[in-house]
Amino acid sequence: MFLTRSEYDRGVSTFSPEGRLFQVEYSLEAIKLGSTAIGICTSEGVILGVEKRVTSSLLESDSIEKIMEIDTHVGCAMSGLTADARSMIDHARVASVQHDLYYHEKIGIESLTQSVCDLALRFGEGASGEKRLMSRPFGVALLIAGYDDDKGPQLYHAEPSGTFYRYDAKAIGSGSEGAQTELQNEYHKSLTLADAEVLALKTLKQVMEEKLDSTNAQLASVTKEHGFRIYEDKEIAKIIDVLKEQEQAEEES
Amino acid sequence: MTQPATLASDYSNEVAQEPIEHRFNPYTGIAGEDFAVLAGDTRNTSGYNINSRYDPRVFDVGDNLLLTANGFAADSAQLISVFKNQLEWYHFDHNKALSPQSAARFIQHLLYGKRFFPYYVYTILAGLDEEGKGAIYSFDPVGSYEREQCRAAGAASSLIMPFLDNQVNFKNQMDPASHGTEKRPLRYLSLEEVIQLVRDAFTSVTERHIQVGDGLEILIVTKDGVKTEYYPLKKD
Amino acid sequence: MVGKDCVAIACDLRLGNQSLGVANNFEKVFQLGHVFLGLTGLASDVLTVHENFRMKANLYKMREEREIEPESFANLVSSTLYERRFGPWFVGPIVAGINSKTGKPFICSFDFIGCPDFAKDFAVSGTASDQLYGMCESLYEPNLEPEDLFETISQALLNAADRDTLSGWGAAVYVITKDKVIKRYLKSRQD
Repeated sequence: MFLTRSEYDRGVSTFSPEGRLFQVEYSLEAIKLGSTAIGICTSEGVILGVEKRVTSSLLESDSIEKIMEIDTHVGCAMSGLTADARSMIDHARVASVQHDLYYHEKIGIESLTQSVCDLALRFGEGASGEKRLMSRPFGVALLIAGYDDDKGPQLYHAEPSGTFYRYDAKAIGSGSEGAQTELQNEYHKSLTLADAEVLALKTLKQVMEEKLDSTNAQLASVTKEHGFRIYEDKEIAKIIDVLKEQEQAEEES
Repeated sequence: MTQPATLASDYSNEVAQEPIEHRFNPYTGIAGEDFAVLAGDTRNTSGYNINSRYDPRVFDVGDNLLLTANGFAADSAQLISVFKNQLEWYHFDHNKALSPQSAARFIQHLLYGKRFFPYYVYTILAGLDEEGKGAIYSFDPVGSYEREQCRAAGAASSLIMPFLDNQVNFKNQMDPASHGTEKRPLRYLSLEEVIQLVRDAFTSVTERHIQVGDGLEILIVTKDGVKTEYYPLKKD
Repeated sequence: MVGKDCVAIACDLRLGNQSLGVANNFEKVFQLGHVFLGLTGLASDVLTVHENFRMKANLYKMREEREIEPESFANLVSSTLYERRFGPWFVGPIVAGINSKTGKPFICSFDFIGCPDFAKDFAVSGTASDQLYGMCESLYEPNLEPEDLFETISQALLNAADRDTLSGWGAAVYVITKDKVIKRYLKSRQD
């Protein structure tokens, strides 16, 4: 991609003669620099897992927030320029609360993802006179996990290009290639929520540079019963123990 | 009769300037166990004139929802067309059917959005809830709403409403076996009973109210869709 | 309300000043011989008009040496109210009774200046008149026996009063047959 770099990568809304929007493509590159985030959708609920890069021993790891609640029934994990995610999540929260206000029901996860993605292209003027909100595309991708009555547990991947896809399992960020392959191998439809918790940590562990522990990884789940919930450090530690036992068992056999 | 003092529209001094068509016909909604009906007469009046003897004003707006907005004809038409339009958008945005409770909340916003120049209408919404049970929602002109088992709105509502209290919710009725110590237990009415009740109510009211008559149109919503029945009323 | 060889007349018991409830034992139906007079409206006028008609009914009795019949009493009400055409009593009277000679049930209602309405079936008056019209028109059927008439008029009154903020606080019902008058008090919602 960098070989074809030209004057056409200056304006955010100028196509290159080959039909590409370079700034948007570069924004996708920004995500590949981010920490790894994983989402796994099971019939019991969705698991989100992220790696936290604790770059200094003086850094308070609790202050790294890469999984956030959008509403009681949806949450998201992010990778890339996480500061950009704030405006997206803000937008999502407003959309969700407003939907509840207007319709007295929980917003659908797909509709919510769509509304976030509508925001992604607001670095240009809208076709019907909407104001230009941003100077550049977002530098962050989201994994949106949620539950609604119509489609059950769902996982969506929303990109800065404004496109989104639904996944059974998806990894984004710097370790995404390896992680995605691992998920591809390990995922099956009858995965339980507990299986998914372990799989998320196992996958993260493989692609992380540091040694996995309860402070440099974070998990969250969305279930019908409990909605969105971020795991306590103690819970993560327990799941790490389970993971270790599994690995030992595999080694022995 | 005396209006409830809390009715916000009583305080509005911006209510429409002498509109051309008034409609204050009665509309009755009754919810059953697995159905709901919404009925209204088909007479359209302004003052002592009859504009039309068949002007149906209960609408099947889609998604198994019935809607009527009683009051000024133009406001009613506008409210219903705005609702239908927004329903299309809801389908585009969320691709699923709008539930009655969501429709009710949405109508509240349509009405309250014009809080200071209200749609001069009393609205009733009928449909089936998540459990498939009949649901009636009634609104005041500025969007205050409530789910009920039955509701009468419009011109002769003061005549019909106590009758409905008595015959649908068994108000002031006792269980004869208890010698006046137990209330008559509530039960869902069958569709046949409800239709007979609505017809009785309208024939009675036709006798006593000049704006009511000509015809009675009853829309019935069940899980199989919407049915329409028509019964003539006195034309005098 | 007219039944088979019987009539019934009923009233609520509330006395109020606008939305303020003042008394819950204010009966609005009065017996004058075998004629019954119901009076809604301004409480002071209700009492005065009642006293007035009591006097007139007694004078009639002394002059004629018989009790006044419902038909005659209705005409008396009409002319008396119209006398005050330009300074009226603020009352909505209803007359009910059985003619002691013919045995025919009779009811009649009036506006506040005495225009009579000789109804064949039922007559209503007061703040809940709309509600009462709706109830009576749908519950009433002709030729009811006294007990059925009692149930019908009671249900009509109770349910109508419950949909009118100014009415209620108990009720009194008279069922009148040729040889017997039964008076019953009804419990009702106290709000």
